[in-house]
Amino acid sequence: MAKVNPDFAKQLTGIESAGNLNYCYQCSACVQECPAALRFSEFNPREIVLSTLLGVADELTGKNSVIWQCATCYNCYERCPQGTRPIEVVTALKNLAFQLGNAPEQISALRESVITSGTITALSDSMKKRREQLGVPKISLPEEGSLKKILGG
Amino acid sequence: MAQIELTLFPGCMIPLRYPQIEKAARFFFNAAGLGIIDAEGFTCCPEPWNVKGAGLAEWLTIATWNLCVAEKHSRDVVTLCNGCYSTLKEAQRIISINGEATKEIISRIKSTGLPEPGTLRILHVAHLISELWEPLISKSIKKRPEGANIAIHHGCHLLRPAEIMEFDNPFEPSILEQIIDSIGATPTLYRGYTDCCGRALLDREKSLDIASAKLESIKEAGADCIVVLCPACFEQLDLGQIEIKRKTKKVFDLPVFHFCQLLALACGAVPNDLGFEYHRVPAGDFLSRFFS
Repeated sequence: MAKVNPDFAKQLTGIESAGNLNYCYQCSACVQECPAALRFSEFNPREIVLSTLLGVADELTGKNSVIWQCATCYNCYERCPQGTRPIEVVTALKNLAFQLGNAPEQISALRESVITSGTITALSDSMKKRREQLGVPKISLPEEGSLKKILGG
Repeated sequence: MAQIELTLFPGCMIPLRYPQIEKAARFFFNAAGLGIIDAEGFTCCPEPWNVKGAGLAEWLTIATWNLCVAEKHSRDVVTLCNGCYSTLKEAQRIISINGEATKEIISRIKSTGLPEPGTLRILHVAHLISELWEPLISKSIKKRPEGANIAIHHGCHLLRPAEIMEFDNPFEPSILEQIIDSIGATPTLYRGYTDCCGRALLDREKSLDIASAKLESIKEAGADCIVVLCPACFEQLDLGQIEIKRKTKKVFDLPVFHFCQLLALACGAVPNDLGFEYHRVPAGDFLSRFFS
């Protein structure tokens, strides 16, 4: 039996506007044009908002959660008549999942790459050569570790 | 000396994976008389679905860093990528409405010697094209791909959320369609016009399923090519066609171009100079029909 945690929603980040949960009247406008909902029966923005509101979100912030299937298309943001912004709720849940160590490996690796080298992908020798052949200017990459300083550690 | 100067925010996907798009963009800027400043110190914007998914505060800090680097050059910023555009625009908005969350971030960045993020405009190149089309860019058009049917795929983060991206109607865009029309081509409308390319879904099979539906609809509508505004959409629809063919045997043969590549060609670039051989779906047939 799932345990209800009425204080759960307070854990969501307040940086983005994921806080309009209480306005949701469960109309499903967010579901109709959701590309992820069309392909995953478990991905339902309306239900994600409800589960978050009720605080029965362990599965959503757990390993292999369906939240990582969000296309980030913002259709739900536009279509919601109540300003609930389900996509921001999904992002806030992703943040919690990451903090719990439950984010998929690819996500953690990508984040690590950006934080360490400043880019999502390294500059390979063949790409360097291709850039030279095309005649585009030499690329200026950030200094290794420069972002760690401003991220505080 | 160019009259209008902008700082280029190159992002990382275009310079590190698709430099042919950068090449075309630089050709286009130059041909249209737009000066470009290459700033030092920019990083990944950062990418707004995975890095942001890992940690909003980190994502915002790095985005603010990039805004501060741009500030040093006091020029409006132009991006070639929907992801960069979305991240920088959204970070700018958070800074303006949520001073509490950003005060500490900004002071940490300022301590490295960078200026505070100010009021520079962040422009997607699509925005720039539409704003400067009449007074400037239209005069540089030398080759008109008369009769080409061109399907635009805007990509989600250029259009939505409309209140932040401030570009066009989020579900019925018409601005870039007018540009296509004015270079003599026909903008092809198709079912699912503003649908997502599916790139961000973690499940690759379902992700390609979304791309495939989009490609099918574009093919049915009779397009000769697809034009995108984002390197992630580019990869999904170009490389994606090869993956879809391997998995399902479906063949679309729809060459994909970045809008800047189309405009570079229209401004007189020689196709052989622009690196189209690096595209996965061969573009030669389209190029010889409309730009020879």
